[in-house]
Amino acid sequence: MGMHTKRKVNSVLFHVGACVLGFFMIYPLIWLLASSFKSNGTMFLDTYSLIPKEWDAAANYASGFSGVGGVPFSTFFFNSLFVTVVGSAGCVITSLFAAYALSRIRFRFAGFWFGCVMLTMMIPPQVMVVPQYIILKKIGLIDTRTALVLPWFFGGAFFIFLMVQFFRGIPRELDEAAEIDGCSKFGILFRILIPIVKPAIVTSSIFAFYWTWQDFFQPLIFMNSTKKFTIPLALNMYLDPNSYNNYGGLFAMSVISLLPVVIFFIIFQRYLVDGIAMDGIKG
Amino acid sequence: MKNKSMFKRVDNVTGYVLLAPWLVGFVGMWLIPAFISIYYSFTNFNLLNTPEFVGFANYVRAFTQDKTFVKALTVTFLYVLALVPLRLIFALFVAMLLNKKHKCLGLYRTLYYVPSIIGGSIAVSIVWKQIFGNKGVVMTLLSLVGIEQKTSFLGNPKTALAVIVLMGVWQFGSSMLIFLSALKQIPNSLYESAMVDGSGQVNTFFKITLPMLTPTIFFNLILQIINGFRVFTESYVITDGGPLDSTLSYVLYLYRRAFTYFDMGYSCALAWILVAIIAVFTVIIFKTQNNWVYYESEGK
Amino acid sequence: MKKSMKRLTALGMAAAMALSMTGCGGKTEDTATAGSTDTTAAGNGGTAESAGEPVTLKITWWGGQSRHDYTQKLLDVYTESHPNVTFEAIPSGWDGYFEKLATQAASGSMPDIVQMDYLYISTYAKNDSLADLQPYIDDGTIDVSGIDENLLNSGKIDGKMNGLVLTSSYAAMGYNPDVLTEAGVEMPDSSWTWDDFSDICKTVKDKTGKYGSLAYGVVDDTNLFKYWVRQYGTELFAEDNKSLGYEDDQVYVDYLNMWNGLIEAGAVPNPDEHAQIQALGQEAGPVVTGDGAFIFEWNNYASKMSGVNAGLKEVTPPQKADSDSKGLWMKPGMFFSVAETSTVKKEAAEFIDWFINSEEVNDIIMAERGTPVSADIRDYMVNSGKLTDQQKAMFEAVNADQALCGTTPAPDPAGISEVNEAFKNTAYEVFYGQTTPEEAAARFRTQADEILARNNE
Repeated sequence: MGMHTKRKVNSVLFHVGACVLGFFMIYPLIWLLASSFKSNGTMFLDTYSLIPKEWDAAANYASGFSGVGGVPFSTFFFNSLFVTVVGSAGCVITSLFAAYALSRIRFRFAGFWFGCVMLTMMIPPQVMVVPQYIILKKIGLIDTRTALVLPWFFGGAFFIFLMVQFFRGIPRELDEAAEIDGCSKFGILFRILIPIVKPAIVTSSIFAFYWTWQDFFQPLIFMNSTKKFTIPLALNMYLDPNSYNNYGGLFAMSVISLLPVVIFFIIFQRYLVDGIAMDGIKG
Repeated sequence: MKNKSMFKRVDNVTGYVLLAPWLVGFVGMWLIPAFISIYYSFTNFNLLNTPEFVGFANYVRAFTQDKTFVKALTVTFLYVLALVPLRLIFALFVAMLLNKKHKCLGLYRTLYYVPSIIGGSIAVSIVWKQIFGNKGVVMTLLSLVGIEQKTSFLGNPKTALAVIVLMGVWQFGSSMLIFLSALKQIPNSLYESAMVDGSGQVNTFFKITLPMLTPTIFFNLILQIINGFRVFTESYVITDGGPLDSTLSYVLYLYRRAFTYFDMGYSCALAWILVAIIAVFTVIIFKTQNNWVYYESEGK
Repeated sequence: MKKSMKRLTALGMAAAMALSMTGCGGKTEDTATAGSTDTTAAGNGGTAESAGEPVTLKITWWGGQSRHDYTQKLLDVYTESHPNVTFEAIPSGWDGYFEKLATQAASGSMPDIVQMDYLYISTYAKNDSLADLQPYIDDGTIDVSGIDENLLNSGKIDGKMNGLVLTSSYAAMGYNPDVLTEAGVEMPDSSWTWDDFSDICKTVKDKTGKYGSLAYGVVDDTNLFKYWVRQYGTELFAEDNKSLGYEDDQVYVDYLNMWNGLIEAGAVPNPDEHAQIQALGQEAGPVVTGDGAFIFEWNNYASKMSGVNAGLKEVTPPQKADSDSKGLWMKPGMFFSVAETSTVKKEAAEFIDWFINSEEVNDIIMAERGTPVSADIRDYMVNSGKLTDQQKAMFEAVNADQALCGTTPAPDPAGISEVNEAFKNTAYEVFYGQTTPEEAAARFRTQADEILARNNE
């Protein structure tokens, strides 16, 4: 019985600790939500309060949804959704292929290319944007949706490196056994390896989704037409430090813009369940 | 070729077919721009002029004349040195806790991931200043217990960077998620056999969990160092480099150089100096991996 | 690859300048307008647009939600009356606007019409990125008769009209009358001196415990300091822009001593408190909320804040007691510039003229961009009865305060952002007690001279 009580106490302690930590983590989000309900006039008079002095939620959300420059917010939302879904899927698939090649296939210069993958992570993107703009302009992609999506289809060093690390954690005997059974390289990837590295793919998808969703600097430079803007570009247009701003609308739309990311995370983190695939193989 | 193992066999075609999409992007969106920016770094390019070749002048200027360069580099080193271990240990710790069987785990994972997705928004900026700024929560609490301070943590050039580091630790969600997915990949059979052997919890952690995690720790370490050196958003949003440049990160500085001061040539030189620094660290850590990283595929 | 690219751009620019355009640079549209865009021919016909072939004007501006909404509407209105002109709008928030503009300029694809800030116009002008608008003023395409000449010339750099000023502003002290009443002091008028200002600030602090003045902008950029320097009968920057314009470091030392004294007295927030105040945005500033008396701002302050506090007032900044040098000047708010690479300069100029002089336009803008430059438009707006009380007061004050304004200084030199940063850092070192005002002033001079020399060779 003592053992049982101890376990119970432990469990309670865990939940209390986890909730306290959770509160600190999520506080800015709560603040944002609360602020999106406050009226523009009083918003910064009770900045620190989580309970609005003067409610104005409907007006904030209405003005936010009305959009900017004659383009309704829903347009930005669907632009973002398109870019994010297509872009992050492309990114994860390309990265998966590249990682598979770099970690489990022997080909010339594989080590060199892996070094290049690492190198791409090191340069600050701020100094790359001008040359990239010039290239996109040369091939006529400035202000096109392709320019938003295409860079993601080339994969990302982060994802490649992450998946390489996971692939390297899988015993090679697996591939060999499969190959002896007549499996092709692609067969090995799809039938054997992908099920094992599912947690890594899920993790990558979560990151890719979020990163494409919040991508700001390069799209800002590459895109011109308001009607093609994604949410981060649109939100930036709500704000001008030198004039009176509609913070209510901005915060309301910030809340809306976080929803898909949170929902996507909640759905996908369920797939981070115990790895089972390798059981019984090792031993 | 009569090797038994397929891994000894070279398969250029499959390798390059799989790598092709990345390779195209690498050449088009990275390699060519990289060469252009290296070229800029040897010119007086100010974004509006026709670049003129100036040799190594920009590099010489950074190392001999630019005090802010030294300052920004120091700030960034301190940041990396403090942030990387703190964030990794914290992320691993929480990931371990969340890997147990508890109720509401999904909820906690979501809560802890939230800071990573609201990143550098205005909300974060305002809230952090509210907590650590003048008349903020922390100062109020300290004065309640009798510690009066003249300046807030964010307003004091000696402590502002610590707040930025703390904010980096707060955004541990991504590292946690990666650890979590790695923990999920450890076969249960390993734990089961450890239990059969009567191994204790601590022992199991050091004998099984930690070795199996080393590829991920290695990954996170490399990644955090690279990203740490490239820190931009935190100091841009919270302090804009201040007070007195005490939180001026290297990339924030080169960003200002490029776009505010119209000094793109010099900025590109700064960028490539940073690449060299990061590359040195990365290579050193890669060299050490044989000593501590355990790869199942190599069966070390 | 890069080189050939640059050469192509250079070629394009040269061609544009020489021929004033014949469709170089690989643009697909609007090559047919060559006839109407000849800069050398003083067309003076006025109604060129009605005969015009279809053209597309690319226009970019920064702003917030309301500016984007009404500017988009303005473009539609213009297209209605000029069916041959269509727009490609490239709106942006303030964040990233100049990064994007610089990138576009670097690749030779600057939009035709660019909303330009005083902070950057010199740099663009020095690099010949902007078209000279003087020919269009001379041939009557742009009517500048309503614009104060000093103000108009603020767009003139190296003998070229690099931008047409849209709005003007000048330094002002915004104040909260309630706080002054509570402290029992008189409302200031434009004859007050810096000593009066310091005294009031301290009185407010003593009587009410509130801030006497906010330091916002006092050292974060050089605007107020520029006003201060001008009261010593000199300018902040030398005529050739290669060094500071004032000779005696005591000018800066005095400035630092005054603010440092006020900070030490608690009458002005220290940098730490200042950062906290700034974090919440202007709408939550102590002057607005009744927790402070003065704020150094621009003359649109009361109007801008009327949404949150309709009771705010403003007065011209204090004067130096023993000087009759006029420190105040009309500062251009923002410009419309035309890209040198543009192939539709004439049409762009026509649009700018409409933007500045049309009553219809200003009925839509309602001074959101600032005080319109044209005196005629200001009169029209005051008489139209559509303005708020604060806007009306602001418009009327412009005419009166113009008498206090001295000559307009030359536009801020290239490198101004970096000078501002050096200024801010040296001042903060004093406020943080890390150095003396004398040392700070000397170091500022060294740094500023180096920056200015490097940027203006």
